[in-house]
Amino acid sequence: MKVSFMKKSTMSKVLAGTAVMAMAAGSAVVVGGTGAVAASKVSISIAYASDTTFDTTPLAYKWWGQVKKEFNAKYPNVTVNLIAVHGGEPDFLTKLALDYHNASSAPTLAQFPSTEIKLYQSSGYLMNMSPLLKGSSWFAQYPTVIKNEGNIGGKVYAVSAGENNNGIYYDKAILQKAGVKLPWQPKTWNDIITAAKAIKKAEPKVIPLWLNAGTAAGPNGANYGILNLLAGSSNPAIEDSSGKMVVSSSGLLQAFNFYHEAFADGLGAPTAQLFSPNNAPNIPSTDFAKGQLGIAISANFIGGNWTKQVSFPYWPQASTAMGVTGLPTANGKGYASTLSGWDFGISSHATSAQATAVMNFLNIAQDSTNLIDAGNWAGWVPPVKADWTVPLYTNFAAPFNEEFGKLLPYSSEVPSDANFSTWVQGIEQATGAIAEKPSTTGAQAVSQLKQYVTNQLGSSAVTSLP
Amino acid sequence: MMSTVVNDTSTGPHVAQLWKTRQDKVRTQWSSILLLTPALGLLAVLFLVPLAFAVYLGLTNLTLLGPTSVHWGFSGLANLIRLKSDTEFWSSLWTTAYFIGGSIVGVVVLGYVLASLLQRASTFLRVVVGGIVVVAWMMPAVTAGMTWYASTTGNGTISTLLGMPSSNFLDAQPLLIVTLANIWSMTGFCMLVMGAALRNIPLEAIEAAKVENASSWQRFRLIVLPLMRPTIIAVVLLTALLSLANFALIYIMTQGGPGTATNILPLYSYQQAFSFNNLAYGALIGNVMVLIATVFGILYVRIASR
Repeated sequence: MKVSFMKKSTMSKVLAGTAVMAMAAGSAVVVGGTGAVAASKVSISIAYASDTTFDTTPLAYKWWGQVKKEFNAKYPNVTVNLIAVHGGEPDFLTKLALDYHNASSAPTLAQFPSTEIKLYQSSGYLMNMSPLLKGSSWFAQYPTVIKNEGNIGGKVYAVSAGENNNGIYYDKAILQKAGVKLPWQPKTWNDIITAAKAIKKAEPKVIPLWLNAGTAAGPNGANYGILNLLAGSSNPAIEDSSGKMVVSSSGLLQAFNFYHEAFADGLGAPTAQLFSPNNAPNIPSTDFAKGQLGIAISANFIGGNWTKQVSFPYWPQASTAMGVTGLPTANGKGYASTLSGWDFGISSHATSAQATAVMNFLNIAQDSTNLIDAGNWAGWVPPVKADWTVPLYTNFAAPFNEEFGKLLPYSSEVPSDANFSTWVQGIEQATGAIAEKPSTTGAQAVSQLKQYVTNQLGSSAVTSLP
Repeated sequence: MMSTVVNDTSTGPHVAQLWKTRQDKVRTQWSSILLLTPALGLLAVLFLVPLAFAVYLGLTNLTLLGPTSVHWGFSGLANLIRLKSDTEFWSSLWTTAYFIGGSIVGVVVLGYVLASLLQRASTFLRVVVGGIVVVAWMMPAVTAGMTWYASTTGNGTISTLLGMPSSNFLDAQPLLIVTLANIWSMTGFCMLVMGAALRNIPLEAIEAAKVENASSWQRFRLIVLPLMRPTIIAVVLLTALLSLANFALIYIMTQGGPGTATNILPLYSYQQAFSFNNLAYGALIGNVMVLIATVFGILYVRIASR
């Protein structure tokens, strides 16, 4: 899912949304069951981000087109209006938010990032899907952590379409030259720094360690970067139980200290790449393919980037040249990663007939083949655990897909609160400060985060934890 | 004869009668209001009503998402109080001032120098250099931003030409570089205006000064500069207004970063409204920009009408 890095890269104002068409009144739809057919015409509209969700726009069209085709064959009385929203992720989110403002423009079904669920739910835009999901075979197979992604107050408002988690990629040849024993499995953060220092010594022209820093990559820059370290720190809290954002904690200090150590030793990537507001330079897949990067903490989709279908860049040797492992926690007990994904949500304005039609659509979208296709083409780990070992998934970007499936249980969800985006901006500014001026200490970075977030949200919305 | 008549009627009802018939007095023809109605209507619909609504939005708690995206209302002075203590806003205001101020100085000086040199250049050179500069001016901000981004980052054109391929000028001096990019993109406009103004300076005045042994500096200071003063002021104000509205250039080059180094007011307003979902607060920052633009606009109109 390379393009997800670009999710904050452009601006466009919202046009009026194409939207929900009125359906025949009093429709009685025959629900569920193979080959069930609606008794009268129902129209549903489905909004999706055509340029950011999938690895390429043609793959997005292909997936949505194939699901629609299957659905039309099965439910000929339901009209499906696919709304492909172009542009970057901010453009899509802005359009969706404004479309949701009116019942007439709200899409019956939309696919959006998991970090937006609470915002839409608190606005009253999403329907409680819990009654519709009773008896759903695919939802029952979701691991609890993924099931809970759209669970607010015991009600499910969104269901996962696919997940992004993170781990460590490394170039086997470079590590070998640096004298690091393969297969490499760092047990602590210090092991990572040690290996990166060895790379710097053995291969001075290679970037030893890729750590996302700065604000250029948008909120996902933190999701695929420092938040993974925070998740594995002594105190991984981003917000407390009352919803206050954590601006100072031992966990934040640990994570910032790791950044300070890496950049102070000249192990990080140049800021020209990290701070690039354009998509390509701030994704490490190209550097790996060129043999210019040793280690990267990054997202699961990098492996898919090297496939022929995605070609970002096409690197057939990646499966043997690259190794992948989990990011250890600070204390060396297990792995840590953030978990975020894209979810389906039904509009609260949908009629019962539309909601039923949408569920039938989701039953097709979430069948094993379509779910794995989406995972492969969008760079997601499928939310159904059984799919993590299916050859259609594991062979697509071997061995990376399978490895990230194994790592998913170690992942933890990032919040979807209104204040999270502001907090992320603060933490990314702090990592950017370290990358730009490596003498910035971890404590100074915490102080910068605290100052920024407190200024933006007010002192009553933030808290400090031990 | 005339003075006699005036003297004879300097008091009494004749004065009022004469005043009524004076041709230089501002008169109101009520029928003109009818003719102006469509223009007034357009002005109201396209400017005054949206402006009034934006001012109102700035005093509400409207958000893009969340409970107050649906149930929102007037929140009094809350946003203004926040604005007063918002250190990011004040920092952004200073960044904007630097960006505009730097752009004005660069555009005016460079525009004048180019216009002046091209006055004396051969026709061929005038066409080629003038054409290149004007193309830079006509280039969309997105293209100009990408060009400057590619030129000023590591392994870019400038760093390679200087023999320092790994140097990243954009990250080292972000505000300076985006200001230079803005100057580069606007100099063509200034050069055209300055060139026209230079051609209107009477040659006789310059020749007379030469005869009086006035130095180049004296001719520039005492003849050229005073005659070009209205043009320079117009260019200064237009550059200020255009720079204030130049969102795309910086957004493409740095997105307001690194950190907040190039976060000028338009970007901060956008960030608040669409990244942080604070539509009302974003609108308030937009209103501050409208106020700044209004000051420049009034100055421009007053000077242009002299």
